[in-house]
Amino acid sequence: MKSWPFDTVLIANRGEIALRILRSVQQLGLKAAVVFHRADSRAPAVRQADHAIEITGTTPVAAYLDSAQILQAAKQCGAGAIHPGYGFLSENANFARACRDAGIRFVGPTPEVIDLMGDKVRARAFVQKHGFPVAPSAIEDDAPGTFLERARAVGFPLLIKPAAGGGGKGMRVVRTADQLAGEIERARSEGQRYFGDGRLYVERYIENPRHIEVQVLGDTHGKLVHLYERECSVQRRFQKIVEETPSPALDEVRRREICDTAAGISRSAGYSNAGTVEFIYGMGGEFYFLEMNTRLQVEHPVTEQLLGIDLVAEQLRVAAGDHLSFTQDDLKPRGHAIEFRVYAEDAAAGYLPTTGPILLLREPTGEGVRVDTGIVAGQEVTAAFDPMLAKLVITGSDRADAMARADTALRDYVLLGCKTNLAFLRRLLRNPAFVAGEVHTGFLDAHPEVAAEPAMAPDTVNALLAVASMASRPVKDAADAVPALHSAIGGWRN
Amino acid sequence: MAQAFRLGGELHEVWLSRTPRGYDLHIGEQRVAVALHGRGEHVHELVVGDQSRSVYVAVRGDNVHVHLDGEAHTLAYSHNLERFASEGQDRSEATARAPMPGSVISIPVEAGQAVKRGDVVVVIESMKMETAICAGLDGTVETIHVQQGQTFERDSLLVTLLPTEAP
Repeated sequence: MKSWPFDTVLIANRGEIALRILRSVQQLGLKAAVVFHRADSRAPAVRQADHAIEITGTTPVAAYLDSAQILQAAKQCGAGAIHPGYGFLSENANFARACRDAGIRFVGPTPEVIDLMGDKVRARAFVQKHGFPVAPSAIEDDAPGTFLERARAVGFPLLIKPAAGGGGKGMRVVRTADQLAGEIERARSEGQRYFGDGRLYVERYIENPRHIEVQVLGDTHGKLVHLYERECSVQRRFQKIVEETPSPALDEVRRREICDTAAGISRSAGYSNAGTVEFIYGMGGEFYFLEMNTRLQVEHPVTEQLLGIDLVAEQLRVAAGDHLSFTQDDLKPRGHAIEFRVYAEDAAAGYLPTTGPILLLREPTGEGVRVDTGIVAGQEVTAAFDPMLAKLVITGSDRADAMARADTALRDYVLLGCKTNLAFLRRLLRNPAFVAGEVHTGFLDAHPEVAAEPAMAPDTVNALLAVASMASRPVKDAADAVPALHSAIGGWRN
Repeated sequence: MAQAFRLGGELHEVWLSRTPRGYDLHIGEQRVAVALHGRGEHVHELVVGDQSRSVYVAVRGDNVHVHLDGEAHTLAYSHNLERFASEGQDRSEATARAPMPGSVISIPVEAGQAVKRGDVVVVIESMKMETAICAGLDGTVETIHVQQGQTFERDSLLVTLLPTEAP
């Protein structure tokens, strides 16, 4: 059996990803510790962990961002490594540095690389300098006094982005010059609040682009491979909803080109551990570097399914100082994998988040069906965290096979008590343009029929009213209070 | 007496009556025999007329949650009193409510402060976006119902205003 330089891994996250990481940690024969805020005390990861340490904060989110408390927890349970998951502290170079200073391995790249890629402006400049493609832009820091004019010169539509941003936060599309100044101020305020950094840059907004990203994995000995692409174009509010691999847009030549570009950028940066290089991909097949995420992505499972590997286990091996156990040629993509993010939200009401108790939960099972979830029945969905509840990951022999399996799995996914986007996902799956793979980041705006709830068939309404009447005390009691006067039975009488 | 459920924004009047063999459901002029047989925890066999199918049901308070034919629906039992009371009394311009769940970023006003229609009274964060909640009329801030950093549900009362008396 392999010997590890640490025997306990602290998971500094919550929800589905905490449970996902925990599973790999324990499968490797290591002990899993988790930190949790009181709001998550019933979460499955907390129950299944070898150690669970409560952390506190002014808000639940603040607790998971409190690096001092998390480091203290790591020391308390003797953890030799911390896996940050995604979000929270995962791309915080100071936290990675604090781990290093405390003699704890941060499961991710070095703080220096996080710093480089975390500063979106520096990252762009770095990528451009190394000869990789970036989109036309204006960077505030270059000359703050002339930022507005230079932004205007990039041309409309343009996209304002926080220099320290990521994940779509604080990004704004501006279509006309008169809105530019106001939107810049709003983006600055959001950037200040989310990232503690109000600096901005603008980039030419490519209309109807695809979002294609490439997974990379490097060890600490200079070896790095790519793990193929993920198509993540179906988004709302700049956040992904469905991700799949292989991308229906790429032929073998383009695939090699974009994957090699990603690996080249990562190698130039001296990247180690798992990371993702994101690109915008235009209708003409041109692509530009968007950003690099220096962490495990939400959508990593599709890559795992495609290649039959466990990315979290690989991350832990890299953190332990191991050499990559495979070469680029060893990685053989097989079949097709597609992920659906199950959100607590009302798609028909502009994707507004929803809240409520999870009264009943039946997750689908079957061949090619994987559900990464962090919720349990009895739990309350609140506004305190991100509205993503779970990820449904479907694998098939090809795209059509995966989509057929997905339709069944979405049908069989029962979650009652809090409105979710499951029915929306099923409508998306049946949309002809989606079926044809003709997706872009504006897809849902261009196809409003996917979000809209279709009128219910009268038969369905009647069936629902029948259930509700029989299951509601006041209605049932009122019926029981009156003796049976009618003996007619069966068939609608008009 | 007719009762009602709200489904997808619409109110549907129904009543249920006993028959020697079970129950009949009346919807408008229609009438049909219905039955709901338990087949395990939360799983039921629904019979409407001569059609039978499997449904999942969960009830919490007035809400009946149903998974039917691969899709979840929620029906809210509508109390008679509520149906006959005039709706929206409390939703005047003198109150600022949360259009969506979220948390309070800042409250630029204080109780007793005079505000004009359109003035920002609360800035909230929801869906990773800032949204300014504005006063619906000229008046003074009567009560602030939330604190900075607090999370709230959709439709929560944020601020109550006292309208300025017409001169």
